[in-house]
Amino acid sequence: MSRLSFLLTIALSVTALAACSPAKQAASNAGPNAGPSAGEINLYTARHYDADLQLYAAFTKATGIKVNRLEMQPDQLIERTKAEGEASPADVILMADAGALWRAEAAGLFQPLSTPTLAARIPLALRDPKGQWWGFSRRARVIAYDKAAVKPEEVAHYDQIAGPRFKGKVCVRSSDNVYNLSLMAALIEHWGEPKALIWAKGVVANMARAPQGGDIDQIRAVEAGACQIALTNTYYYLRLAASPDASDKAAAARVGLSFPEQDGVGTHVNISGGGLAAHAPNKAAAIKFLEFLASDEAQAILAGANHEYPAVEGLPSPPDVAAYSKFKPDPMPVTIYGQRQAQAQGVYDKAGWR
Amino acid sequence: MTDLALPVRIRARHHEGPSALKVGAWLAAALAILPLLSIVWLALTRPASAALPLSAIGRYAANTALLGGLTATAVIVLGTTAAWLVVMYRFPGRNLFSWALALPLAAPAFVLAYAYADLFDVAGPIRSTLRGLTGQDFGFLDMRSLVGAALVLSMAFYPYVYLTARAAFVSQSVCALEAGRTLGCTPWTCFTRVALPLARPAIAAGAALALMEVFADYGAVNFLGVQTLTTGVVRAWSAYGAPGSAARLSLMLLVAAGLLLWIERSGRQGQAYGASSARWRPLEPVALTGKAGLAAAAYCLALISFGLLIPAGWLGYRALSALPEADRLLHAALVSFGLAATGAMVTVGLAGLIAFGAQNGQWAKRIASLGYATPGAVMAVGLLAPASLVWRSLGLNPNLGLGIGLALGVLVLAYSARLMASALGPIEAGLARVTPAMGRAARTLGETEAGALRRIHIPIAKGALWTAALLVFVDVMKELPATLILRPFNFDTLAVLADRYASDERLAQAAWPSLMIVLAACLPIILLSRQIMRSRPGDQSL
Repeated sequence: MSRLSFLLTIALSVTALAACSPAKQAASNAGPNAGPSAGEINLYTARHYDADLQLYAAFTKATGIKVNRLEMQPDQLIERTKAEGEASPADVILMADAGALWRAEAAGLFQPLSTPTLAARIPLALRDPKGQWWGFSRRARVIAYDKAAVKPEEVAHYDQIAGPRFKGKVCVRSSDNVYNLSLMAALIEHWGEPKALIWAKGVVANMARAPQGGDIDQIRAVEAGACQIALTNTYYYLRLAASPDASDKAAAARVGLSFPEQDGVGTHVNISGGGLAAHAPNKAAAIKFLEFLASDEAQAILAGANHEYPAVEGLPSPPDVAAYSKFKPDPMPVTIYGQRQAQAQGVYDKAGWR
Repeated sequence: MTDLALPVRIRARHHEGPSALKVGAWLAAALAILPLLSIVWLALTRPASAALPLSAIGRYAANTALLGGLTATAVIVLGTTAAWLVVMYRFPGRNLFSWALALPLAAPAFVLAYAYADLFDVAGPIRSTLRGLTGQDFGFLDMRSLVGAALVLSMAFYPYVYLTARAAFVSQSVCALEAGRTLGCTPWTCFTRVALPLARPAIAAGAALALMEVFADYGAVNFLGVQTLTTGVVRAWSAYGAPGSAARLSLMLLVAAGLLLWIERSGRQGQAYGASSARWRPLEPVALTGKAGLAAAAYCLALISFGLLIPAGWLGYRALSALPEADRLLHAALVSFGLAATGAMVTVGLAGLIAFGAQNGQWAKRIASLGYATPGAVMAVGLLAPASLVWRSLGLNPNLGLGIGLALGVLVLAYSARLMASALGPIEAGLARVTPAMGRAARTLGETEAGALRRIHIPIAKGALWTAALLVFVDVMKELPATLILRPFNFDTLAVLADRYASDERLAQAAWPSLMIVLAACLPIILLSRQIMRSRPGDQSL
């Protein structure tokens, strides 16, 4: 048994070591600034992009405020913050999808906020009217197609994916993916549930394979010839095109992007954004962070490192993002995505879209 | 239980009442079911989603049953065969294989899923090459299917059966087999009629562990695009926004887990598996020569290759195309190791308390085991309610000082609640070797309950305690959902990093933390796998 207690000692000391190191960082970063914990913010984020680390580093460099972050799936993040209640240390909450923002708002996670900077920079369509949350970047859900087999006019509308032209030629990911849910919510809003269900059944009948993988997997499947068209978010395609890897570049070269509904309501657009947490203990620093996300510098990082569209209008984008920026977006308020999310999943499940 | 046990038990109760050990056992069991009670409460109080169609639930349940059936069959056949070969025969590489066969335990199921999905993807190396050679696409090779998922999970979980079956075969005295032989058994009938029935509790325990892992798995099946009850739970929660529906679906899983445990128990009832004779002689392995020996070696090598070498090798190759972020990885490794070691000690301690203290009270053990088949994501929500009470009542910031310690404490208890079955299984199997007569003899000779425990039960079950600690350590290294939801700030484990990269569709970056989990888990598995090998009942060296 002595070996057991020896191991226990080691285990506890390693944990203590690991526990101390982030705490020490936090303490030393707080430094000589005035006020208790004025030098840090606690960020709860459902964004899972690597590029975000650059954002936090740039913010800390500009303001001296350290960013403590906790990354989680949106639903887990909402439940945890609710469970913490008024004791929650969260200052800022970020989400990668409008539906999740709406659910966080409904759960009472945000508090209203309006600052002249945010109001001036973030367009009305990309934010909550009461200022509970603000959109900081946009992405479009578009159709990726095999340039050798498909003409652009054959994928100019979302309903063409469900048409007989693409029998056995469609690749999609699972229906519980938030981007597919928000798209379905928008389609229900435009078409009504019966037509949206017929569309979903049509897509299921056209599937080249059972739904699987992520957006990049769909683009690769088009390149490999497993299907001719697929749904993807714009930034995944742009990431492949910008990749140093030759096979990624080849995939992007063979695949084209079509922005549907340009002659009608416009292409489905989603946002990523966030707001001030309801019980933020570091409110002043949190507001600084939210304003920073709307700054030219942060917007440039979102566009440059993660290939998203800036939320702030009139900012120059890197050439690769700019090349895909001149499209007509669907002006539908993004709050619809959240309100219709459960209904959207119900339609997919009824259609048998895994 | 034999008839003889009855009067003795009754007398003991008369004299002593509930012992401290028993009270401790019940407290530990209560701790383990706290999150489950919280799930039941959620199911009863939170509204279910009206939009969730019944047909979808039926589909989830059917897929879960099919996946469970396929995987359970595969792990029992693969694990038991490997254990029997290694214990009973001598063949090239046997000494190496006997511990290396446990190595696939080092790879989390979701890591195997990353590797196999990528290897067999339509744009992956294997099908691209075949397409180039034949002009045909070999679509049936796709691992993103129910059969593919069953294969991947079998590779991940067969070591559970292998380890428990091997421990059982090793502990069988040669006397039982010799008795069989004198009664006219061939090697095959000795296996099927003597060794296998004797090892059945251990095999069942291993298979039950594997099956509960299958039920609770989210990362791998989700990545492979198979819809099970567990992915349904997450979908009900995230897409339908209905924690009530999620909790009700989890109750279905809990019932399935309970049924599994009940079947496993009732299979054993009325049969005594403890060695009846005091004489114990080690088994003398039979030499396999020529083709038979090579075939046995090839079989073992194939299991290790498909379970570990091929997927890890492929991820290693993929990792080369991404630069590792050394300091993040290092910090995450430290966090993972500390949590895993602490979690293992605490869980084995609690499980030991339950197993020793409630030897006659099966309920404590069964209830405490249920958490294992609960999807981690739901378990985490169940844990949030008790954790929230602590957070709110103390008003502690889970980011600073004492708050961090508290948050870590909650996390470690979460591991214990989730992994209790993982520790209880082997400990119970080990204690099964202590015949009721041994315990009674010790008490007759004047030992106290604690004394009998210290001098009889613990020494005999020592190997099992190590197996339990190993399983829990490795499981915590691989654990994701509870860590995700309960960790304090800046406290990412390797599994958290891997998940983060994978959900950003960056496999090359995800490969680094994935491989570090495998490497970190390999060493304890080798150490402890060898430890179990050496701890035989008659062995005085330990």
